[in-house]
Amino acid sequence: MTELTSNRSSSLLRHLFVRFGFLLAFFAFFVFFAAWNPVFLQGGNLLNIVEGSAILLIVALGMTLIVATGGIDLSVGIALDFGAAFAIVAMKSYGADWITAAALGVSGGSIVGIVNAILVVGLRISPFMATLGTFFIGSSVQRIFTNGGGPISHRRMPDEFRNLAMGDIGGVPVEVIVAAVLCVIYFLVLERSIHGRRIHAMGMQRLASIVAGIRVNRVLIASYIVAAMTCAIGGLIAAASIRMFTPLSGFSYLLDAIAAVFIGAALHPRGRPNVLGTIAGVLFLGMVVNGLNLMGLNFNVKDALSGIILVSALALAVAQRKMR
Amino acid sequence: MAEHGSPGRLSRLVDTAPLLIFALLLAYIAFEAHNFFSLLSFKLILNQSLPVVIICMGLAFVVMAGGDDVVSGGIDLSIPATAVLCAGIIAQWLATNGSLPVAVALAAGAALLVGAINALLVTRIGMTPLLTTLSMFVAVVGVNNVVTSSRRINVSDPVILWLRDGQIAGVPVGIPIVALIALSFYHLAHRTRIGLNMQAVGGSRDAAETSGLDVKKLQSASFILAATTGFIASFFVLARGSGSSPGVENNLMLEMVLATFLGAAFSGRRVVTLWGAVLGAVLVAAISIGFKSMGVNVFWTGLIKGSLILAVVAFGALAQRGRR
Repeated sequence: MTELTSNRSSSLLRHLFVRFGFLLAFFAFFVFFAAWNPVFLQGGNLLNIVEGSAILLIVALGMTLIVATGGIDLSVGIALDFGAAFAIVAMKSYGADWITAAALGVSGGSIVGIVNAILVVGLRISPFMATLGTFFIGSSVQRIFTNGGGPISHRRMPDEFRNLAMGDIGGVPVEVIVAAVLCVIYFLVLERSIHGRRIHAMGMQRLASIVAGIRVNRVLIASYIVAAMTCAIGGLIAAASIRMFTPLSGFSYLLDAIAAVFIGAALHPRGRPNVLGTIAGVLFLGMVVNGLNLMGLNFNVKDALSGIILVSALALAVAQRKMR
Repeated sequence: MAEHGSPGRLSRLVDTAPLLIFALLLAYIAFEAHNFFSLLSFKLILNQSLPVVIICMGLAFVVMAGGDDVVSGGIDLSIPATAVLCAGIIAQWLATNGSLPVAVALAAGAALLVGAINALLVTRIGMTPLLTTLSMFVAVVGVNNVVTSSRRINVSDPVILWLRDGQIAGVPVGIPIVALIALSFYHLAHRTRIGLNMQAVGGSRDAAETSGLDVKKLQSASFILAATTGFIASFFVLARGSGSSPGVENNLMLEMVLATFLGAAFSGRRVVTLWGAVLGAVLVAAISIGFKSMGVNVFWTGLIKGSLILAVVAFGALAQRGRR
């Protein structure tokens, strides 16, 4: 009898874990941070988490697209940097108005996507190596351009541009609105349209999708360019919030973006990268960073803890999917 | 290849292109920088490349046992972090307590732990190696920052100084030591049962499993081995930098990936091999030092390395396409 009951309770535990494992962990962290510091729960702080995650979310959307095609993009940070650099330089050196600057920033970022597309589609280099090469070259170009990596500041930028990061519409920060709009667009295209079906089909079974008549190369080219432009939008917000372009600052988003996408993919029933999962992943990472900050830990300890939590969260999310 | 007709002159040229590119580049450097090919700078290059040579061999083992698809196959990006963590532990222990054997034991324990966690996450939980080791890189670097408080720690232990300055018959001691290590790794990979089994797993996982090999055990062994190379490399990291300094891991990681996958371009079948990795690491160091001695601005080195990796990999892809 005892064996039977223990068996049943363990299968119940297993069932709970498989169904809600990651959500439970999310919730456990939430409760833990809230119990440690009541400030965590205040509306202002929760908004802080969302606002602080906006740029990462935008970058992670671009990464979701590339991972869905079956690749990976190590140059998202470069696209972000280029977006910021082109916009700042356009305003500072050429007196461009904010719309032109933003458009230039996004097209500057698209250069990175075009280069990736040429390498991956034209020269058939694997996405990992191709985007690693783009990363090397893009970082070096920034160093050369800024004479070693000094920031380019532009204190008197147009208010409209500044509002990309500082403004709000009806109390909701503009950057959150931008990120939300991008999320909706990405969701509709990637999860609810024929284009999205093509992208996922190609990511899962490339040969089969070629046989089925999908123009794989065209989809790939479009994906790399769109992803880079998305990251450049993130760059615009980053530039607006600190009123300068800091070379190589985009690199810090790379790993978190990859982690968010794969946490999201692990939450998906078939393990596919998807927009809703990515949002969950980004919010989880944002919550952990915010909560650890509020605990007032030593900087190094905080860093190590968030790294360890990252590994554990990924392991948990993957384990949950594998046990289904 | 004879069945497909003898390869044309063009495809043979494409085949040897990666080596040709390097030869031309080295010739150019030799022409521009005086004394580049002197014995002195040759020793300097070898001495500089030692840490990267060692961790490249670790990465080669993981790729050999996991298959060479970067995203889904075997890769271990955490080796540089392991090396830096071991260096940090040894430096910190020597600075506070002073006994080298204990420091070494602690570092070895830490390295084994990292390897075991990697192996566990990949073989038991089923995470992809890329994701596992990338997040472990972050976590391990975080732990190292706690160990060393992100400070530079000088090391003046006689053993480490001997590794740095000692000479045997006019050759820096590190070179014969690493050569011995490389030979024993070669023996392990190509002359022992476990090494050959590992390669079988990487060649075809399904075939290896069908013929009764313990695939998980062999893949785990490759991660442990990789962590061990991180541990060994830590001594040369300490010797090269006369201590442990924060931030070394990023450059180590980029050079490791660059060198190992460049090495693949030198092998006949374009696969990652031990010798290819070693040769790649030495050549990368040669080019770095060569450009430095030519007085090329350091801002350009990323551009040069990035273009190099892309050129070599693109020719590799081209050669493979030509052969089909």
